[in-house]
Amino acid sequence: MTAVDDRPAEATHEVGRDRRRKEDQRLITGRTRWTDNMQLQGMLHLAMVRSPVAHARITGIDTTAARESTGVIAVLTGQDVKDLQGSLPCAWPITEDQKAPPHPAIAVDRVAFSGEVVAVVAARTAAAARDAAELVDVDYEDLPAVLELKAAAADEALAHPDLGTNRSATWIFDSAEAGTGGSVDEAIRDADVVVEREFRQQRLIPAFMEPRSTVVDPTGEQFVMWSATQVPHILRLMLAMTLGVDESKVRVVAPDVGGGFGGKLQVTPEEIITFLVARHTGRPCKWTETRSESLLSAHHGRDQWQKLTLAAKQDGTVTGLKVELLADMGAYLGLVTPGVPILGAFMFNSIYKFPAYHFACTNVFTNKTWTDAYRGAGRPEATFAIERMMDELAVELGRDPMEVREQNWITHEEFPFTTVCGLEYDSGNYEAATERAKELFGYAELRAEQQRRRESGDRVQLGLGISTFTEMCGLAPSRVLGSLNYGAGGWEHASVRMLPTGKVEVITGSSAHGQGHETAWSQIVADQLGVPFEDVEVLHGDTQISHKGLDTYGSRSLVVGGQAVINAAKKVIEKAKPLAAYQLEANVDDLEFTDGKFTVKGAGADQEGVGLAGLALAVFAAHDLPDGMEPSLDADATFDPVNFSFPHGTHLCAMEVDTETGASRMRSYVCVDDIGNVVNPLIVEGQVHGGLVQGIAQALWEEAVYDDQGTLVSGSFVDYTLPTTADTISFVTDRTTSPSTSNDLGVKGVGEAGCIASTPAVVNAVLDAIRQYGVDDILMPCTPERVWRAIQHGQAGASRPTAEDAAGHFAEGEPNQDPPGPAGVTGATTTTQEGGQA
Amino acid sequence: MAMELHHTFTVAATPEDTWALLTDLEQVGGCFPGATVTSATDEEFTGNVKVKLGPIGVTYQGEGRFVERDDEAHRAVIEGLGKGLRGLGNASAKVTLQLKPEGEGTKADVTTSMNITGKPAQFGRGVMQTVSDKLLGQFVECIEGKLTG
Amino acid sequence: MIPPEFDYAAPGTVSEALALLAEHGDEAKVLAGGQSLLPVLRMRLNAPGIVIDISRIEEIKGITESGDAVRIGAGATYQDVLDSALVSEHLGLLHKALTEVADAQIRHRGTVCGALVHADPAGDVGAPVLALDARMVIQGPDGERTVDASDFFVDLFETAVGEDELLTAVEIPKHTGWGAHYEKFVRVSHQWAIIGIAAAVRVEGGTIAEAKVGLTNMGSTPLRATSVEQALVGKEATEDAVAEACAQVGEGTDPPSDLNGQADYRKHVAGVLTRRAVVAAAGG
Ligand SMILES: Cc1cc2nc3c(=O)[nH]c(=O)nc-3n(C[C@H](O)[C@H](O)[C@H](O)COP(=O)(O)OP(=O)(O)OC[C@H]3O[C@@H](n4cnc5c(N)ncnc54)[C@H](O)[C@@H]3O)c2cc1C
Repeated sequence: MTAVDDRPAEATHEVGRDRRRKEDQRLITGRTRWTDNMQLQGMLHLAMVRSPVAHARITGIDTTAARESTGVIAVLTGQDVKDLQGSLPCAWPITEDQKAPPHPAIAVDRVAFSGEVVAVVAARTAAAARDAAELVDVDYEDLPAVLELKAAAADEALAHPDLGTNRSATWIFDSAEAGTGGSVDEAIRDADVVVEREFRQQRLIPAFMEPRSTVVDPTGEQFVMWSATQVPHILRLMLAMTLGVDESKVRVVAPDVGGGFGGKLQVTPEEIITFLVARHTGRPCKWTETRSESLLSAHHGRDQWQKLTLAAKQDGTVTGLKVELLADMGAYLGLVTPGVPILGAFMFNSIYKFPAYHFACTNVFTNKTWTDAYRGAGRPEATFAIERMMDELAVELGRDPMEVREQNWITHEEFPFTTVCGLEYDSGNYEAATERAKELFGYAELRAEQQRRRESGDRVQLGLGISTFTEMCGLAPSRVLGSLNYGAGGWEHASVRMLPTGKVEVITGSSAHGQGHETAWSQIVADQLGVPFEDVEVLHGDTQISHKGLDTYGSRSLVVGGQAVINAAKKVIEKAKPLAAYQLEANVDDLEFTDGKFTVKGAGADQEGVGLAGLALAVFAAHDLPDGMEPSLDADATFDPVNFSFPHGTHLCAMEVDTETGASRMRSYVCVDDIGNVVNPLIVEGQVHGGLVQGIAQALWEEAVYDDQGTLVSGSFVDYTLPTTADTISFVTDRTTSPSTSNDLGVKGVGEAGCIASTPAVVNAVLDAIRQYGVDDILMPCTPERVWRAIQHGQAGASRPTAEDAAGHFAEGEPNQDPPGPAGVTGATTTTQEGGQA
Repeated sequence: MAMELHHTFTVAATPEDTWALLTDLEQVGGCFPGATVTSATDEEFTGNVKVKLGPIGVTYQGEGRFVERDDEAHRAVIEGLGKGLRGLGNASAKVTLQLKPEGEGTKADVTTSMNITGKPAQFGRGVMQTVSDKLLGQFVECIEGKLTG
Repeated sequence: MIPPEFDYAAPGTVSEALALLAEHGDEAKVLAGGQSLLPVLRMRLNAPGIVIDISRIEEIKGITESGDAVRIGAGATYQDVLDSALVSEHLGLLHKALTEVADAQIRHRGTVCGALVHADPAGDVGAPVLALDARMVIQGPDGERTVDASDFFVDLFETAVGEDELLTAVEIPKHTGWGAHYEKFVRVSHQWAIIGIAAAVRVEGGTIAEAKVGLTNMGSTPLRATSVEQALVGKEATEDAVAEACAQVGEGTDPPSDLNGQADYRKHVAGVLTRRAVVAAAGG
C-alpha cells in the first residue's frame, strides 16, 4: 500500500492565519443540511396551537373540526399528554428554596403566557397542519395577568396562583461575608460621594437567522432527533430525563444550525412535543416555526431592573459597590433561566478595584414569554451598569470619565489579580488597550469638536462614550459551576482519529452553530499534528459521532473545547512515538516531533524521519508494530478548565444627536480588544463585528414590547426593529495581546465580547451629547422620541438630584420612565389608550 | 391591547323611551360595525362581526349579554366576547350605559371599552389601536343615531 | 407561513378582471405586486375565496405622457417608475419618495397603484401623489371615472375605489423644474415611515413662488399641508425664512400614537422635518 505520500517537512503555522472559513460556502449558499431541509419517508408536519391570552384557565378544547380536517393524522392536547410529557428541565436552581411552577410542554389546564402551546396538530402537509390548527377551538377563562416586573415583585397579581408569590429566588453575594472584601454598607456610610442610579435592561429577542426546527424519526432502534439547537448533548440527556426514555435509545443531531445567540441553548416545548407526536403516530414528524412564532415563543433575553449604589472618595477612588437586581424570568424557568442574572454576579466590579461589594438578585415570574440566555447572558447587564456608573461618578466629580476609570482599574503590573468577588484575573493590560483605542479614535480632537458644538449651540451635538470592559468566559470550571448549583460540569471532550490515508478526523463536543469551529479546529490540529489544513475534517453535533460534549455557549468553545482538541492531538503523538522509534530504530526519548514528522535528535537536518501519515497507515495494516502496541493512534481527551478566561477591551463611541428630533447617528466606533492570542483573525473580526451590532442594537433599536393584555406587539420584524448593515457604520477594530495563562493557546473567548462591551459605550455617548440639557439617563433603546423627551424634560429643570442628596435611597423619583400615553380630548369624547409601550 | 371611549350625548326622548331602545340587544349589538346579530333574547344575543379594512378581513364569532341591568336607575353593562376565526385570538367589548333625565329629554353616557388579543395586536404595527378607536367611534355614533334619528 | 387556500385567476384584460370582481364580490381580492396582500394572507389576517392577479394585464402597464400629465398604469412597479425618464424629469418628488420605499426586492414587485389602493397612511406614495394634485383613473362596471387625489383617500386603508372597481392608472400633472425632497423619518432603514414629508417647491429668483407639501403618517390618510403651502409663497428660500411657516404643520392633524412615537412627538418632528424638506427642495 503506497496510497500515502508523506508530506514534505515544511513548517505549518496555521494558528494566527486569516483562513477563509471552510464552512462558509455551504452555509451562505444554504446548500446544506438545515433541519428544515430534512425529508423522511412518510413524514408528518406539525403545527402548534398557541394561547392568544397571557393568563387563563383552559375550560375546554374542542378538537373535532381539526381532527376532521383534510390530511390530519393526530391532534393532541395537554390532557392527552399530561402523564407523558414530564416537566421541561431547569438545570440551574440557584437556591435551595427556589420556587418554580411545573413547566409543561403543552399547557394542561392553565396558560401562563401568550404564545404557550395548548395543542398540536400533525398532518400530511405543513399547510394542512396549519389549516387544522386554526380549527382547534379553545375556551379560556381569563385570570389576572401580571406583566410588569416591579408589579410582579410586589405580588400585585400572581403569575402562578399556586406558588403564592411571584418571587422565585433571591441570590446574594457579599464580599464581607465571603471574606473576599469589606462591607458595602460601611463603605457607603463612610463615602464622600455616593452615586445611586436605577437602570432598565429591556427585554430582547435573540432573533437568530434560522428559525427553530425539529425532526424526530421514531422508526429505528433509537429515536433520532434533528434539531436546530446549540446543545445536542444536553438535549439528549434532558430528553431522556424528562420523558423517561433510555438515554441510549435517543440520538440527537444538530446539523448545520443557523445562529443561536443563546436562543437555541434550550430544551424546548416543541422538541418534547415533536418527540411525543412521533412516538404517538409512529411516523417521522417535523416542526418548523414561522418567524413570528419564533419571536413570540422562543425564549427572550435580558429584562432586569438594576439598582446600583457606588461609594467613592472625593479624590475619585471607588470604595464600594452595591447591586440590587430584579430579573424577569417570564412565565417559566427554562434550561438556565434563573442562572442568567447570576452569571453577572461577579462582573459588576469589572476591572475596578472595589474593596467592598454586594450583589443581590431576586428572580421574578411574570405572564410573559420566559427568558433565558442571550449573547453575553448576565455579563452585558453587569458591564452596562458599571460602565454607566463610572460615567455617572465622573459627572458627579466633574472629571473626565476616562481619567476616573484609569484611577480605579487594575494596572497591568497587578496581574494576576484577585477581585473582590474572589475571581483571579489571569492577565490583561487595560492601559495598552485604552492607549491604542484613544489613538485610533482621536479622543482629544473629538472632545474639542464636542466643545465647539456645545459652545455654538449646534443643533447636532456630539457625545463620546466609553466602555472599558472585561468579562468572564469559557464556561466553565466544573467546580465553580458546582458551587453555583449548576446541574452539570463545564468540561469539554474531543477525539482525534488518524485515518489510514493520513486524513484526520477531529471530533469535538462543542457543537458550532455558525462560529467557524471547523476552520479554527482545523488550524489548531494542522499545527499540532503537522498535517495540511485541508486534511482535517471536523465532526460535531451528532451524539452518535460526538458521543460526549457540553456544546457551545458562554464563549467556551475555543478555550475549553479547543484545549480538549489539543490534548487529544498530543495524545496521538504520544501514541505514535513508540512506533516511530521502532521504525527509526531509535530510543523513544531521542525522538523529536516537528511539522508532522518524528526525527532523531541530533541526527542532522537531512534525515528523512517518519511522518505521522505513514505511521497511521502502518497502524492500520498492523503488520509490523512493536510488541504490545495497540493498533490505533486515535485518542480522546476531556478537558476541564481551572479558571475562566477574562478578555477585556476599550470601546469608544462617538454619537451625534439631532437635538431637534432626538435622532442619533453613530459617527465612529473604535474597539481595541484583548482576547489573548488569536487562532484566526478573520473569525475574530466576524465575532466582534456581529457582537458590536447586537450590543448597539440593544442601545438603540431593539425591544420586545407587550401591551396591557400581555400580547407581544413587537411580534414581527416590522415592529421588532432589528438592524441591518444599512443601519451600521464601519467599525474600527484592533487588538492588544495579553495571552491567557489558563490554556496552551493563550486564548480567551471572543464570542460575546462585542455584545457585552458596546451597549454602554453607545448609551454613554448619547448621554454625553445631551448632558448639558440636564439629562442623565435615557431608557434603552434610546429611540429618537425618548432622546427628544429627555431633552425637553431636562430643559424643564427636572433633572435628578445630585451627590449631596443621593443618600436618600431611591426616593420616589421617576428616572427611566416612559412618557405618559396621550389623552386626546375631542368634544365630549375621550379616548384612553392603554396599549403601546409596556 | 385595550381601548376605552367615553361619549356623552343628549336625546329628545324621555329616559324611559330611550331605555327601552338601548336595552334592545339586537339593536345595540347590531350597531357594532360589521356586526350581524343571528339571535337575540332579552338577556343575550349571538352574532358575528366582520372587520374589513383594506387587505385585512377578519371575522369574530361571539355572544353578548347583560352583566348588569338596573331598569330603575337606567344603568346597564353589556359585555360581548368574540372568538376570532382562523386562530385569530379574542376580542371583547364592554358597554356601560347610563341615562339621566336632562330637561325634557335624556342625557346618555356611554362608555365602551375593547380588548383585542392575538394576531391582530401582534402584527398590527400598532394599527389596531387606530382601528379599534375607529370601530368604537362608529359604534357610539350608531347608537346615538338610533336614539336621536 | 402558509396562507389559507384560495382560488387564483390571472385575467388578461381589465374587462375580464372586472367581470371576475362582479362575479365573486366580497370573496375576491385583487393582487397587484402582492407586497401588502401576501403578508396579510400569510399572517392569515384574511382568507379570500379568490385572488385576481392583475399583473398580466397588458393594457394597464406602462408609463406614458398624457397631455400635461404623466400617466402611471396599474401594472407599473416602483422600479418601473424609478427607471422612467418621464418621471425623473417631470415628477421629481415622486421619484425621490419612491427611492425611500422598502428595499430593492419590494420595489421590483410592488406597484404604485397597489400602494395607493392599499392606502396605508404610513406608505410613502400617498403624500407625494396627493401633493402633486394627481387624478385617479378608476374603472368599474359602469365604465371609467376620474377622482382627484384630494377625494381619493377616505380613511385608514380605505379609498374611493369600490369593491367591484380597479384603479387602472394615476395621472400626475407635470411639475417640470420644481425642486423636490422627500424626508422619511425612521429608526432603522427598512422601517415604515414614522412620519414622512413630501415637499415640492417652485423657486423664482430666490423666492418660493409655489409650494406643495404632503404628509405621511400624520393621520389616517395622507394629508396635504395647505396652510403651510400658502404661508411659504413669497418667502425667501432660506431656512430662517421658511422655518416659521413650517413649524405649525402638525396643527389640526391627528397622528397615531404607537411604538415609534406618541402623537405630540410626531407633530413636533413634522414641524422640524417640513422645514428641512422645504429647504432641501428649494436647493438649500
Ligand atoms: C417588508 C416590506 C416593507 C415595506 N416597506 C414599505 C415602505 O417603507 N414604504 C411603503 O410605502 N411601502 C412599503 N411596503 C409596502 C409596499 O409598498 C406594497 O407593495 C404596496 O403597499 C402595495 O403594492 P402592491 O402592488 O404590492 O399591492 P398588493 O399587495 O398586490 O395589493 C395591495 C392592496 O391593494 C389592492 N389592489 C392592488 N392593486 C389594485 C388595483 N389596481 N385596483 C384595486 N385594488 C388594488 C389589493 O387587493 C390589496 O388590498 C413594504 C412592504 C413589505 C412587504
